Amino acid sequence: MHELRIAEDLSGIVLEAASNEKLVKVTRVNITFGQLVQIVPEIFGTAFTESVRGTIAEGSELNIEIVKVRMKCANCGKEFRIRGNIFECKHCGSTDLEIIKGKEMFVKSIEGE
Amino acid sequence: MEIRIMKNILDRNQNKADEVRSLLKSKNVNMINLISSPGAGKTTLLERTCERLMKSYRIGVIEGDVTTDRDAQRLKKYDIPIVVINTEGGCHLDSHSISKVLGYFDLDNLDILFVENVGNLICPSQFDLGETFKLAVVSTAEGDDKPAKYPMLFREAAAALLNKIDLIPYTNFNLEHFKNDLRNINGQLPLFEISCTRGDGLEEWFQWIMEKICP
Repeated sequence: MHELRIAEDLSGIVLEAASNEKLVKVTRVNITFGQLVQIVPEIFGTAFTESVRGTIAEGSELNIEIVKVRMKCANCGKEFRIRGNIFECKHCGSTDLEIIKGKEMFVKSIEGE
Repeated sequence: MEIRIMKNILDRNQNKADEVRSLLKSKNVNMINLISSPGAGKTTLLERTCERLMKSYRIGVIEGDVTTDRDAQRLKKYDIPIVVINTEGGCHLDSHSISKVLGYFDLDNLDILFVENVGNLICPSQFDLGETFKLAVVSTAEGDDKPAKYPMLFREAAAALLNKIDLIPYTNFNLEHFKNDLRNINGQLPLFEISCTRGDGLEEWFQWIMEKICP
């Protein structure tokens, strides 16, 4: 259900940017979700459609890019991708890790006229 | 035409959370965000924790509940400041709702502010409240698959508490599977195996939290 709230925040950002650029119509919204973000894209898409109804972004296409998880080991400093749900350094076996990619929720750009 | 934005969708929540965090830091208040499923035992954990810590620390509680103030009623007996946030159907607290109620507390006379988030393992872990740290509370009655199913919470939390360990003989909960999954998700995470009704493991938890808030 948090999808609804996050979609409302997204539509706020989209409409503000569109208004600053004096767009009359938003046709496409490009966003990025990290793989670890617990959002169901279908539900999010529906929530976004509803939250922009009656605005200049009504009917705009929502393009979601999913970013894979990337970790950095605090012990050996190497970066790597995790497989499955095993958060362990592939190189030295340490579990002292930092998530450097995979948690983001980003608006990249909007398209319109 | 394409307009580049490059902005965090949760910017509004994040900015307010940063504000809350710096206010609490300036007042030396530790805000602890408790996240669990409904019925894992957050309120009972708070009862036991208040009983043990309230002699040495000034404690306050923010109770996040979809509706009712029943959890707050249970804590009334400790005579500590409690504020209820009813989310009216909302599945999580956010930094704006926390910021609005901070004014009800005398922050100059507070050491620990517990936030009992809405019972839910997904939504609350997405919203930074400005807390000092998060705690993941799970119970054996929910099954042993929670870390594997909700990895984000166990990555973000400063500790995990496994409650109702006295019920293990009556469930199909497998402690080894649970610990193995938890190690895979976050091998650095301290785990406390506790029973809030029987008292098992609570002293270790109290020691940990006292060290954590008084470095």
